[in-house]
This record gives sequence, structure tokens and C-alpha cells, in this order.
Amino acid sequence: MIETIMWILMVVSVIVYTVSAVLFSVVVFRGPTVGDQVLAIDAITYVTLVLIVLFSILFKEPILMVVAIPLALWVYALDIYVSKYLEKGDLGA
Amino acid sequence: MLEEVLRVIGMVLLSIGLFAIVVSAIGFHRFKNFYLRLHALTVGTIWGCIFPLFGMALVAVTLDDLGVYRWFIAGASVVTAVIVLMLAPAGSHAIARAVHRAKVARVQPCLADLLDSELCEGDKHG
Repeated sequence: MIETIMWILMVVSVIVYTVSAVLFSVVVFRGPTVGDQVLAIDAITYVTLVLIVLFSILFKEPILMVVAIPLALWVYALDIYVSKYLEKGDLGA
Repeated sequence: MLEEVLRVIGMVLLSIGLFAIVVSAIGFHRFKNFYLRLHALTVGTIWGCIFPLFGMALVAVTLDDLGVYRWFIAGASVVTAVIVLMLAPAGSHAIARAVHRAKVARVQPCLADLLDSELCEGDKHG
């Protein structure tokens, strides 16, 4: 009983998270300023982290989890690079 | 018994994440300017990403057919959640500060901007 509900909830989660990723990607292409676009890319990355965990459980593929941690670190680097570029005008050393 | 308890806690955390990510995605389209969209992003970060990651770690521990790899999935989920918990607020703070200093996004509608009154000029009381 609980197991059936759990698998159904996971599949529903995959669908809902994918729909919200599509909604965020509309902001990436349209968003009025560059700040909005960076925020939307952040949100898409966090959605992708949850999707990776869900897929690695649903497909029984533990190797998918390897990409999750570098993805979380990469999006922080994106924030820092964009904010440094906006403040100083170049990336610097 | 312990297995059911872990699975129910994990499902509750995943359901919280489902609700929060929908709220966040709608908020991105409903809010008017960059500084308000920051609120929508942080809802999607803490409630929509970290809580489901912890919940999936609890669920993965109970899945016997994964073998020893269930500990790998659970551990990687927890490490990812802790990394996001530490880095996401720092990143959104940095981008907000840079956008305000570079005058990229205007505060609109604006009542007062005590840090930089130029951003608010000619737009009193919305």
C-alpha cells in the first residue's frame, strides 16, 4: 500500500518538476533583466538536482547521483561570476 | 515498521517540495521586478529542493533491491542538500547585491530606496 503510493508520488513528482522547469525556462528566454535570467537558471538547476535523485531511484541507476554535486557547485560559480562581472565590468583574476 | 516510518516521512517531504516548486514557478511569472522574484527563488530553493533531497535520502535507505548502492544514493543526496543549503543563499545574495549596485534592475513600483535614490526617481507611489 505505502509502496504503491510512493511510486505513484515519485512519478507525479517527475511530471510536476518537469512542468516547473519549463515555466522557469520561459523566464530564462524572456526575463526582463540579466538578473532574472540568472535566477531562473538557478531554479532550473535546483529542479534538475531533484530530478536526478528521482530518476536514479526510479531507474535503479545509482551512477546518476555522481553528477548532482558538481551541478550544485557549478550554479554557485555562475552566480559569483555573473555578479562579479556586473559589479566590476570584467571577470578579473 | 521503521521502513514504513522512513517512507512516510520521505513522502511528506517530497509533497512539500512539490507544492513549493509550483508556488515558486508561478511566483516567477506573477512578481513584477527582480527583487520580488528573489523571494520566489528562495521558496523554490529551500522548500522545493533541499526538503525533497532529504526525503529521497530517507526513501532510498529503505529500498532493498538497490543493494549497497542505496547508501550511495542516500549519502550523495544528503551531501548535495547540505551543499545547496550553504551555497544557494550566498549566491542569491551576491547576485542581488551586484544587480542593485550595477543599476541593472529598477525597483518598480517604488516607495523608497534608501541605498540608491536614483533607482527610485520619478516613480513615487507606484
